[in-house]
Amino acid sequence: MSRRDEARWADRLIAGDPSAFRDFVEAYKRKVYGLAYEMTRNHSDAEDISQVAFMKVHRSIGTIRPGRGLNTWLYQIVYNTAIDHIRKRSFYPQGALPSLASEPHFDGPPDPGAGPEKAAEAACLRRRIDEALTKVSERERAVFILRHYHDLKLKEIAQSLGVTLGTAKSYLFRSLRKIQKELSEAEACPDHGDRP
Amino acid sequence: MKRCRTWRKNIPAAIYGELDAKTREKLERHLALCEECSGLYAGMAATVRKLDVRPAPDAPPQFWEGYWDRLERRMVSEAERKALPAAEPFRPRRAFSAPRWAYGAAGALMFLALGIFIGRNLLRPPEQSIVVTRAVPLGAVPGGQTALDAGTIPRPLPVRASHYLKRSRVLILAVVNSNLQTEDFLSLSLPLQKKTSEELMIEAAALKKEIGSSDRRLERLISDLELILLQIANLKSDPDGSDIEIIKAGVESRDILFKIKLNEARSSIAKSTAGLAPGPRSDSLDRAIV
Repeated sequence: MSRRDEARWADRLIAGDPSAFRDFVEAYKRKVYGLAYEMTRNHSDAEDISQVAFMKVHRSIGTIRPGRGLNTWLYQIVYNTAIDHIRKRSFYPQGALPSLASEPHFDGPPDPGAGPEKAAEAACLRRRIDEALTKVSERERAVFILRHYHDLKLKEIAQSLGVTLGTAKSYLFRSLRKIQKELSEAEACPDHGDRP
Repeated sequence: MKRCRTWRKNIPAAIYGELDAKTREKLERHLALCEECSGLYAGMAATVRKLDVRPAPDAPPQFWEGYWDRLERRMVSEAERKALPAAEPFRPRRAFSAPRWAYGAAGALMFLALGIFIGRNLLRPPEQSIVVTRAVPLGAVPGGQTALDAGTIPRPLPVRASHYLKRSRVLILAVVNSNLQTEDFLSLSLPLQKKTSEELMIEAAALKKEIGSSDRRLERLISDLELILLQIANLKSDPDGSDIEIIKAGVESRDILFKIKLNEARSSIAKSTAGLAPGPRSDSLDRAIV
C-alpha cells in the first residue's frame, strides 16, 4: 500500500465516513491476522488479537494525524496487542510454541505447474522454515515478518516496535542468522537430495 | 574486526535493497576484501531466497466470510457492557452474619500470614550459599581478593540479579539524563557505556536462563532491560538527540526504573525476612557481596 493510499485511508477515517472503518478492516484484516498468527502460532489467538487490535484502532481514530503513516501505527497496535496477549498467557511456556504445521491454515492453492516431487520438496522446506521460526525470539520474529512478508522498511519497523533503526537492523540480522543456522542443521527433506 | 561488525549489521538491509547507493558501494568494497563477510552475505542471501518458498500464512476462505460480522458483534457487546451500570449482584441470605470490619480484619490477617509464609519459605536465600560463605573467611584467597571475587564460589542468583539491576540502573540514568545541548553530554563517556551495555547483555542471557520460570517478573524486567541495553550498545559514536529520546521513551514506557526500585524493595524485604529466621547469617556475606 502506497503512502498516498495510506493518507487516503487516514482522511476517510478522520472524516467519519460511516463505511470507512468497515472498508479499512476489509483492506487490512489479512495483514493484521498474518502478523498476529506469526507471533502466536495459534489460529484462535490470532483472531482474538486481530479483533482486539481493530477495536483499539476504532477507539483511537480520533488520534490519527493527517498524513501520518497509517501502516506503522496499525502494526504498532497489532504488535503491542500480540505481546500483551502472549504475556497474559503466562502459563504457556515461552519457546515452546506449537509448530505451525500442527495448526490448520491455508497455504493457498498448490502450483499446478509443479510436479509432485517439486511440490513435496517445497512443502518440506516450508515445514523446516516454520520450525526455524519457532526458534527466533518474539521481537526478532516480528522484525523479520514485517520486513520479509509485509514489506515494511526497516525505518518503519523501528517506529512500529519503538526501537532505534540500529536495533531493528540487529534484530533482522539475528533472526536471519538463526533461521539460516536452523535450516542448515535440519535434516534433509526425504524427497530432496541435498539439505534445505 | 569492529569494521566487520558494523558492516554485518547492514547485510540484511543490503539484501532487502534498503541501503543507499553510497553505503552499498562501501559495503561491496568491504565484501571484496573480507572473505568471511562475503561468505556471510552469500549465505544470508541464499536463505532469504529459500524463504520465498513459504507464503505468508493465511486463514481458510470460510474464516474471512464472517469476519466483519464477528468483529461487529464483539464491538457491540463490548460497548453494551461498558454502557450498562454494574448490576447489583445476587446475595443469598446468610445463616449468620458478622460485622463488616470482621471480614476486613480476617482478610488482613490472611494476607499477613501469606506474606510471612512467602517471605520465610519462598524468598529465603538458599542455605547452601550461607554455609559456603561461612566456611571460607574473607581474605582467605591469596592476592587480597575475596573468595567471591576470585570466582571460587559462585555468587547466589539473587545477589547477582540485584548487582546486575544496580549496574543497569546506573548506566540507564547516565544515558537518559545526558543532555546533548550542553557539555554534560561530553561526560557521558559513550564508548565505556556501550561496552558496559554489551557486558550486561551477556550477563542478562545467563541470568534469564537461570531464573527460568521461577521468577517471571524478574525475567520480564531483565528482558525489557536487554532491549534498552541493546539500544545503548547500538548508539552511534556521535548520537543525535532522537536516539537518546527513543531510549528515554523506552525506559519510561516500560517503567524500567520503577520496576528496578520495586525489585530492590522486594529483595530487601526478602533479606530482612530471611534475617529473622534462625540460622547462620554472617555479616561477612554482605560485605563480600558489596
